[in-house]
Amino acid sequence: MGNKQTTFTKEQLEAYQDCTYFTRKEILRLHGRYRELAPHLVPLDYTNNPDIRVPPSLIVTMPELKENPFRDRIVETFSEDGQGNMSFNDFVDMFSALCETSPRELKTIYAFKIYDFNRDSFICKEDLQKTLNKLTKGELTPEEVALVCDKAIEEADLDADSKLSFADFENMISKAPDFLSNFHIRI
Amino acid sequence: MLLFMLLNVCTVGGSYFTQIELNMMTKSSDVVKNDIKNNLNPFNIFKTHKTSPLTLGLYSWNFGGGVQSYFLFLKFLVILNFVSFLLIGGFVLIPSIVFNSLGEPPKLESSGNCTIYEPNPQGLVVFYEYFLHLLSGTGFIEYSYMFYGYYDNTVVEDSSFSYNIPVAYLSTAVFYFAFCEYLLISRMGKATRVAVTTGGSDVSNYSLIVFTGWDFGCLGGKATKLKQRNIYYRLQVDLEEERLKKHAASLTMCKKVTLYSLRVLSFFVALGLVAAACYSIFEATKFSQDNSDKEGILGLIYEYLPSIVITAGNFLVPLLCDQLALLEKYSPSSTVIVALLRAVILRLASLCILLFTLWDQITCKGNQNDDECNECHYNYQEYPCWETRVGQEMYKLTLFDLLVNIALLVLVEFPRRMVVDNTSCKLSQWVGRQEFVVPSNVLGLVYGQTVVWTGALFCPLLPLLNTAKFVILFYCKKITLFYNCRPALRTFRSTSSSFFFLAVLLFGWIIALVVMIYSVAVMHPSQACGPFRSFDNMWQIVPNSTYYLPDVTKEFIFFIGSQAFSVPLSALSCVVMCYVIALASIHGRSVVMLKAQLKLVCLSFFFIYNQMFNSFSCLMQPICYP
Repeated sequence: MGNKQTTFTKEQLEAYQDCTYFTRKEILRLHGRYRELAPHLVPLDYTNNPDIRVPPSLIVTMPELKENPFRDRIVETFSEDGQGNMSFNDFVDMFSALCETSPRELKTIYAFKIYDFNRDSFICKEDLQKTLNKLTKGELTPEEVALVCDKAIEEADLDADSKLSFADFENMISKAPDFLSNFHIRI
Repeated sequence: MLLFMLLNVCTVGGSYFTQIELNMMTKSSDVVKNDIKNNLNPFNIFKTHKTSPLTLGLYSWNFGGGVQSYFLFLKFLVILNFVSFLLIGGFVLIPSIVFNSLGEPPKLESSGNCTIYEPNPQGLVVFYEYFLHLLSGTGFIEYSYMFYGYYDNTVVEDSSFSYNIPVAYLSTAVFYFAFCEYLLISRMGKATRVAVTTGGSDVSNYSLIVFTGWDFGCLGGKATKLKQRNIYYRLQVDLEEERLKKHAASLTMCKKVTLYSLRVLSFFVALGLVAAACYSIFEATKFSQDNSDKEGILGLIYEYLPSIVITAGNFLVPLLCDQLALLEKYSPSSTVIVALLRAVILRLASLCILLFTLWDQITCKGNQNDDECNECHYNYQEYPCWETRVGQEMYKLTLFDLLVNIALLVLVEFPRRMVVDNTSCKLSQWVGRQEFVVPSNVLGLVYGQTVVWTGALFCPLLPLLNTAKFVILFYCKKITLFYNCRPALRTFRSTSSSFFFLAVLLFGWIIALVVMIYSVAVMHPSQACGPFRSFDNMWQIVPNSTYYLPDVTKEFIFFIGSQAFSVPLSALSCVVMCYVIALASIHGRSVVMLKAQLKLVCLSFFFIYNQMFNSFSCLMQPICYP
């Protein structure tokens, strides 16, 4: 298997392999998917590390993300500028964190960031309400939403400040048997 | 040696299950389909894998997805039955075949008071009758290795080799039961252990549903909508319980009294329904036994009458009880548990009634002085070889269960799907596609396994038949699931359900054990057939054989059987049991304490953090305002 591709230099590929949970082939495939989103924007040749960012409106059209209610938050969390404009590094980071071999701790950290809508390092009641509304697409009545949010915070909140810190969240997730298999996007 | 191999196979098989269980709990349906297709091929059981002790410790086998666990349970039973067949085959079947082919084939007596037995019909047999015989366990199958009656009381004694078939038969049966119990209890132990360490996962339901409910791997509009409705229903179930709790708390005294009296009434009505089902099984069995000599298709129907009545009862009574449940107004999870309990009691009671009726007929209601049972200690006229008869009933039950499942698949589920998919009238849309109901399917498996356990003593090849039946059932249910069923919107949610189903299986095992102990120790074996024809009861072979053992072994065995050993042993086991119970409660309490400690640590951490932050920020400011 010779070095026939010209997208990345050998060092770049090795760096990607070290920093993510992907193999060489998967990284090249990811680059293909990234380019597919905006072929006029993304060059084929990445050897000189161009600073290209794909806007979030194009990224959420990917079939893996299209139906996900949290697609906007996922894209915002993994983008460097927090607005959702993703460079290729951000793109690879995102799928690496969500892949099968990614460890539980990493997934928990990113899950917390995704569910923290107002980015104050706490999941407060409003964040929970937004999460719930996205999950059930507004099928629950406002009273039911409030009740579920209250109960959820009551169950998970250990330090009694009526919002979930990362420690609370991590403790609650450790009891979930299907967190790892659910928090997984196959690409 | 053989035993060690068997145990190794089971542990490999057992740990293989846990890995698959853990990886497959609630994936999206497409992934589940692929996983089932690739991984749950019954002949892949020897694939090796790695399990992480951390994952094993933290996760519990809950029926969240439900469907995967049904197939895993089915696979567990397939392996159980196959290994049991290897046991029986190795120690009873193959020696019998070898001795019969080397020596003389077993022959039947043709004279004597209680020793005449003629299983083979006289004269030419019409071709289609072979098929009827196959279905009813009579004719050419009756006098074959399938049933107890064909085995001989061969005792081979050579200079270097001796083999006693009756002893082998009895000890294989006993070891088979002990082996099944070991597998069951170890599986139950695993489930309990995890439940104790995680403190049961009922605790954080709302937060878990909200944060981990969504499957990020969901692709496509349909799967997403399904997942959304699934989450909605799960939340609704919890909300419904809250509402009911509030409602129950707000009831007036008068309304409470009416509700409780309604519940008591419906309990008696359900009991009455079960009793009515049992009575009809009793009558059907008697009728079937009395008319067992009819020929042709009508004879076949009469033979299968108990099975038909049992299946009809198992279908109708839960349906009626569901209507009763509307009156009772329990919370949703309690309703499910009550319905399950009723279904379990119905199934096991129907089996018990069938066995009781057979016993009734065979031993003339236990009265040895009755005219018919006087001479041979059992009803010789009707049952020259009663063990084969009992084996035949169990054989028919097993076969009928399989036939009904296949018939339902072909005649009900496929047409239903075709009608629903191709017509667009409101009725068909309202009926909708079949939903795969996990609890009733699992109960069916438990019932089938109990029947096999009961019949294994009388029909040694029944475990092999059951293995084949479960393999066929596996593929039938797989086909049904993929082509006919829509994924369940309401998932069966009860974290202790795995333990519950294993407990029901254990209860079935206990029933089978009681039947076996009674047949071995109390009932008089047939004098016309079988390996125990010359004994007063089957157990007698054991003391008789010990006479041939060397003195030291004899004394040791007598000592084990005597009171001087058994009383201290039972006292010691009581002490060990008390110790283990105390240990379990201590562990449970320490889990609760650790959780409280965790809360305390978090609180103190935040307190210290806040203190530090305040003092640090104070130090950094030129002027500090408290």
